[in-house]
Amino acid sequence: MKRKVVQRVAVPALSAALMVTSLTGCTFGFASDPDDPNEVEEKVPIDLSTDTFTYDSSLSGTNITLLNSKAEIQTALEEMADIFEEKSGVHIEVMPISDDSPYTKVVSLYNSGTPPTLSILDTTDVIALAEEKAADLSGEMWTEEAENYLTKINDKVYSLPLCIEGRGIIYNKAVIEEALGQTFDPSAIKTQDDFIGILNQLIEAGIEKPISVAKEDWSLGAHQLQYIYETYDGTSNGAQEVINKIKSGEMDLRNYNRMTDFLNMFDILKEYNVAKGDPLGADYDEMAIDLVDGKTVFWLNGNWAWPNLEEAGANEEDEYGFLPVFMNNDETDFANQMIQASPSKQIMLDGQIATETEQAAAKEFLNWMVYSEIGQQMLVKTCNLIPPFQNNPYEPSDPLSRDIYEKVREGKAFNASAIVPNDHWSVLGAAMQKYLANRSDREELIQSIEAYWAEQN
Amino acid sequence: MNSKNKGKDFCMFALPGMFCFFAVVIIPFLYGVYLTFTDWNGVSKEKNFIWFENFKGVISDKEFWTSLLLTFKYVIVVVVLVNVIAFAIAYLLTRGIKGQNFFRAGFFTPNLIGGIVLGYIWQFVFSRVFVNIGESTGWSLFEVSWLSEPNKAFAALVLVSVWQLSGYMILIYVAGFMGLSEDVMEAASIDGASGWVKMKNIILPLMMSSVTICLFLTLSRAFMVYDVNLSLTSGGPYGTTQMAAMHVYEKAFTSRQFGVGQAEALILFIVVACISGIQVYLTKKQEVEA
Amino acid sequence: MKQTTIGGTKRKILNFLAIAGLIIIFIAYMFPFIMVVINSLKQKRDIIKSPFSWLFTIKGLSFDNFIKAFTQMDFLNAFKNSFLVTASATVLVTLLASMLAYYIVRNNNITSKITFALMVASMIIPFQAIMIPLVSIYGGNLNILNHRITLIFMHTGFSMAMSVFMFHGFIKGNVPIALEEAACIDGCTHAQTFFQIVLPLLKPIISTMVILNSLAFWNDFLLPSLVLTDKKLFTLPLSTYSFYGTYSADYGTIMAGLLLCVIPILILYVVLQKQIIGGVVAGAVK
Repeated sequence: MKRKVVQRVAVPALSAALMVTSLTGCTFGFASDPDDPNEVEEKVPIDLSTDTFTYDSSLSGTNITLLNSKAEIQTALEEMADIFEEKSGVHIEVMPISDDSPYTKVVSLYNSGTPPTLSILDTTDVIALAEEKAADLSGEMWTEEAENYLTKINDKVYSLPLCIEGRGIIYNKAVIEEALGQTFDPSAIKTQDDFIGILNQLIEAGIEKPISVAKEDWSLGAHQLQYIYETYDGTSNGAQEVINKIKSGEMDLRNYNRMTDFLNMFDILKEYNVAKGDPLGADYDEMAIDLVDGKTVFWLNGNWAWPNLEEAGANEEDEYGFLPVFMNNDETDFANQMIQASPSKQIMLDGQIATETEQAAAKEFLNWMVYSEIGQQMLVKTCNLIPPFQNNPYEPSDPLSRDIYEKVREGKAFNASAIVPNDHWSVLGAAMQKYLANRSDREELIQSIEAYWAEQN
Repeated sequence: MNSKNKGKDFCMFALPGMFCFFAVVIIPFLYGVYLTFTDWNGVSKEKNFIWFENFKGVISDKEFWTSLLLTFKYVIVVVVLVNVIAFAIAYLLTRGIKGQNFFRAGFFTPNLIGGIVLGYIWQFVFSRVFVNIGESTGWSLFEVSWLSEPNKAFAALVLVSVWQLSGYMILIYVAGFMGLSEDVMEAASIDGASGWVKMKNIILPLMMSSVTICLFLTLSRAFMVYDVNLSLTSGGPYGTTQMAAMHVYEKAFTSRQFGVGQAEALILFIVVACISGIQVYLTKKQEVEA
Repeated sequence: MKQTTIGGTKRKILNFLAIAGLIIIFIAYMFPFIMVVINSLKQKRDIIKSPFSWLFTIKGLSFDNFIKAFTQMDFLNAFKNSFLVTASATVLVTLLASMLAYYIVRNNNITSKITFALMVASMIIPFQAIMIPLVSIYGGNLNILNHRITLIFMHTGFSMAMSVFMFHGFIKGNVPIALEEAACIDGCTHAQTFFQIVLPLLKPIISTMVILNSLAFWNDFLLPSLVLTDKKLFTLPLSTYSFYGTYSADYGTIMAGLLLCVIPILILYVVLQKQIIGGVVAGAVK
């Protein structure tokens, strides 16, 4: 009998405890507190009053789909699609990807016979799919506005560059100034030695390990290692050239100065890494918090890190910016003065299944994004992207994007993106992890890189 | 069942289930096997028959064989631990101890956490909780994150898998123990059989059908480990904990060698089929029919 | 007599040790789930910096994550979708699998043998290997993706093998043929025998399979993500997409969303437990 009682009481107790948790969640439900400081989602006002864009009324009523692989702008894109529908009558269903890689998702959608009309993809994915599936966009007007940022495959344009992203060493100005007791001028740091100088100053001032280095394979394999290709001469063609040379075995990485430069810099990052004791135990989200709190002052990352910094407590008025990734001590070397910034996500239009009307509606949406007052505003303000289109007058509002935006305008950014096979980040990211953890030396790392490229032939 | 009704019985009892199964599993699988003999890359319009070209690619893919070897190691450890632990816990949970239903609900919770949350929570445990313990006790075992050393990362993977899979197997063993007749247990007690003897001679033979099922399930699940692998270590540190299923997926979609990946999946399937076939044959022989 | 007392004491000590051990293991098993509960009430920053500080520090503790998860997931609609899919697929697979397993156990012919062997073998097919073929056939050729009914059908098909396997083992071990023979003499048809005599005997295994299958259907991500593209049809796990970023994720909301998702399963489990216990029949029929 007693056993029964225990059963009756104890089992529901566990579920009841859980129920209460969830039910209270619901009852407090829909009235969210307006004064809540944690509420991050404030909407940026969009001025809808002027709209000189001409809509093609014959397209009204068309339904198209947009596959989005840039998860952080999902809601922003949905808002954009809503307003576009209001204006043009074209309905855009924004499809999210949450777990799969964009490529896997696109492949499965093509196989299921329902490919998205438009898809936001990485450049490598566009190159893999374009000639087989995409519509030729070479004749579109917006190609003129994004001249330097177009990806051409056999001289044809198959995709619209959605945004520019850049990376470098993010700094937290306020913390540096407070620690050193003097103003910090990022442009005064011009070489590796200057950089080491300020690191040592910071250590003296009590910031023991001033740098965060992400251990993730995509960060090490793509964002770090790709400097060896991109700094060859600072252009995409140059990057391609050096990749071809490595592939063919023509270039010995041991004698390639950018390889040595990069490893020298990487060794500095390793030495001053806040997680030096256990570099592979570092946590990405914690790095953002450390940078905002001033436990560290530098973080090698890109402007996509802003949402993380914001969550960690940073404000748009705070001063964050980028230092170049210093490759050596030559002040005249462009790599020591410029940061890397190039188009990252591309929008591809399906040319295989989509009907002509659907394609026309999709093209209208792309034009609307580039040319209409509303589209221009929403691209920058709602999606928080740096547009690659020179006719877009709006400036990004977060400090990281703003810094890149300004550097691009001032010519302090180099537009080189290395087009590498899709598994580059994962295979060589693993090799970089090994080097980061001091489990391999330069020779072994170089051998892995050479072996990887040899396999691609 | 007499012969007159055979056709009718078949249509009524067997056909609907078989239809679902064949339509959803077998036909796509056969189609997948066909694809391993073509050069189709997942998106191209044309499929050319290339015979065993993809299998040659598998043979030269050293990482696949390394990952398969690692998977074997992993499977052995996991299968033994999961079944011993789940069997023992299920036994205790059907002995009528106080609050056993509450306990059962608790042991069920590992099944509820999946995906990114599972990875996040356990990463946290290994990278921080353990490291904190290491700092305060000075034990070198917990000095650095378990996930940053190959052997410990492997151990971490085993630990999490055992935690998750045994939660599942407990459920099946509990059902098995519940199916045992009280008479059998009582008779065993009256006969003076106790403890180990009772377990070995009476309970275990009667539980063999549950054991067969659980061994088979742990075997196949451990061989196919993917989710835990991806969310906990994602193959790291530096690619040392990449198991076969994860490698297959990476090969097909990250390295974009669809044909080779598909062929590797087929080989993995054949290997596991052979091993679990032997296991089912051996344990089925031990089963007692009612 | 004395010996039994000693035996009794020994047994008590052993029992005590077993229970003590059980409690320790129990806490270890529950720990991650407790972490989810605690952290679902916190902001991301607190989750990362101090995942352990919980109900003691009121600061930063809130139900915001639940509210956010509830609204952003379009919870009620996703719940409805998940419920329809899970309930139908679970009923379907339980019925079809138990019938098929019964047929296989009682008809030891070649069809049974081959089907059973295929089913056992199919359980080790890596899902990744049939993912693309599956969408090519059902999408590219038949064009029936993006319907709930297709998802239900596929869930049923995929869980058929394991369910048959489990029912097969149970029927073989726990359903005496003598009972059916008696029914046969009484003039029952096979269908009547199955539904009136065999099925009730399967209660423990049915309960177990209902839990395991509905858990799998309810939490599955991969299959629904391949079948459903229309957001209105999204099941609960699919509807959490907005909490994931490219490089990081909104952990607090994800955990709150996870709890909202799993509570129904937990309740189902607690309810069905009684069935498992109530279904101890083997003793009674012998």
